[in-house]
Amino acid sequence: MTASLIRKLPEVSGTTLARDVHATGWRAHLALTFENRGGTTVLSRRVHLGPLRIQKPLYPEGPEVCHGILLHPPGGIAGGDVLEMELAVGQGAHAFITTPGASKWYRSPGMLARQRIELEVATSGVLEWFPQEAIVFNGAQAKTETRVTLAADACFMGWELTCLGRRASGERFDGGVLNHATHIEREGRPLWTERGQLEGGGRLLQSPVGWAGFSVSATFHAVHVGLESACLTACRAIRPEEEGARFGVTRFPEMLVARYLGHSAESARNWCANLWRYLRPALLKREGVLPRIWST
Amino acid sequence: MSQALIRLMQLVSPVLPVGAYTYSQGLEWAVETGMVQSESAAQVWIEDCLEFGAARLEAVYLVHMLRAWQRGQPDEAQAFDAAFLASRETAELRAETLQMGHSLARLLRDLEADSTRSLASFAEPSYPLVWSFAASAWAIPMEEAVAGYLWAWLENQVMAAVKLVPFGQTAGQRLLVALGRKLPACAAEALQISLEQTCNSMPAFAIASCCHETQYTRLFRS
Repeated sequence: MTASLIRKLPEVSGTTLARDVHATGWRAHLALTFENRGGTTVLSRRVHLGPLRIQKPLYPEGPEVCHGILLHPPGGIAGGDVLEMELAVGQGAHAFITTPGASKWYRSPGMLARQRIELEVATSGVLEWFPQEAIVFNGAQAKTETRVTLAADACFMGWELTCLGRRASGERFDGGVLNHATHIEREGRPLWTERGQLEGGGRLLQSPVGWAGFSVSATFHAVHVGLESACLTACRAIRPEEEGARFGVTRFPEMLVARYLGHSAESARNWCANLWRYLRPALLKREGVLPRIWST
Repeated sequence: MSQALIRLMQLVSPVLPVGAYTYSQGLEWAVETGMVQSESAAQVWIEDCLEFGAARLEAVYLVHMLRAWQRGQPDEAQAFDAAFLASRETAELRAETLQMGHSLARLLRDLEADSTRSLASFAEPSYPLVWSFAASAWAIPMEEAVAGYLWAWLENQVMAAVKLVPFGQTAGQRLLVALGRKLPACAAEALQISLEQTCNSMPAFAIASCCHETQYTRLFRS
């Protein structure tokens, strides 16, 4: 996959890849592999093209869990940009990934901005995937696809936080489009598929079965073979701060799914983080200490 | 009238013993919390569920499953079935389609409609998977089958609203006339849509279904 992509790209190194606004915009690609070496999760492979990076790995809770912070210095994705991320967690390795701030889908006069995320977790591996919220600017033309591929007893916890428009400045999502898809599968067996085409100003935004007039949506997944019904009961008792927000939790045989609709991205994130803080010790026997970068 | 049309009426009849009438698909919670309190609010809720969910996802999977059966490709049907089940938003909605699929498969076996034992290899078939098998076995034309499937779904939703909101039978029939008009176009569109173009992202619907799982008093199983 990576090799074929390199052939298609101009032969320039990541930092010097110039942005050609007249052609296709940024093209960024990041491929990461985490491996367990003698009980330490190491970032064993890192290939990047364009403005997508990972900070030096951190080990705030010991060598077993590698914490990575993804950086995208342009701060947002514009029409014509393509962002691709491939992340593999090897057998018995454990990675925790987040971002330093919200990502943004900028307004585009017409060209589509695209993001593709492929996450793969091998046997006994764990991936915790908690990027901060994505803000979809009014008039953005965005397409994002996330695919999670899990081996037999791999664990995945992750969320997707989406904000439509910049509500603080009174901006609503009145035009543009967000096309999104999320797939989770284990050993070729699909566990979760969600696809949507959200049109700015479209009926789905106000629909009582769609976004119901809210501007922030969150979906949280915890996939683990040992997920018991006690986890569901405990997660249902966790309530968000935001008055009037809607939320719900359900459980499939090996997956818990929680959803949130409201207007506060902070409340959505805190609610998901509280679910995670309960589930992490229950499923992974590790304390759920919030990464410092979330409180800055 | 063709024999195939008679079989279609049998398949979409509310007396088909699959327990469809026990499911509201989150509507019961919407009524309980005051979101749906009138005929017009019920119409919006059901119409949006049709447009953003049933027609844009379930009907499209039904078409793909039907084609797989018609081509004699149970493996393909199985793959569509797995993908369809992964699109169910909550445990309750998943349980609903599995229970109805199980009941219909048993009925088809008892009717000796599955002479090739094609359904026997499915441990937990979804409702559209088994239904599409029956429609294929009984040679029901594709577009009629899809419109009929959506009609049965619509009728069930409207009957749930009649009981829950509640409103009268005439109002219910009025909703069926209004929403039923949309079905031919929905069915025709479902025949054209690829699986990559399907949509099932309805967050407020999914949350309603999550909340219904713990609703204190309830008549319906979803």
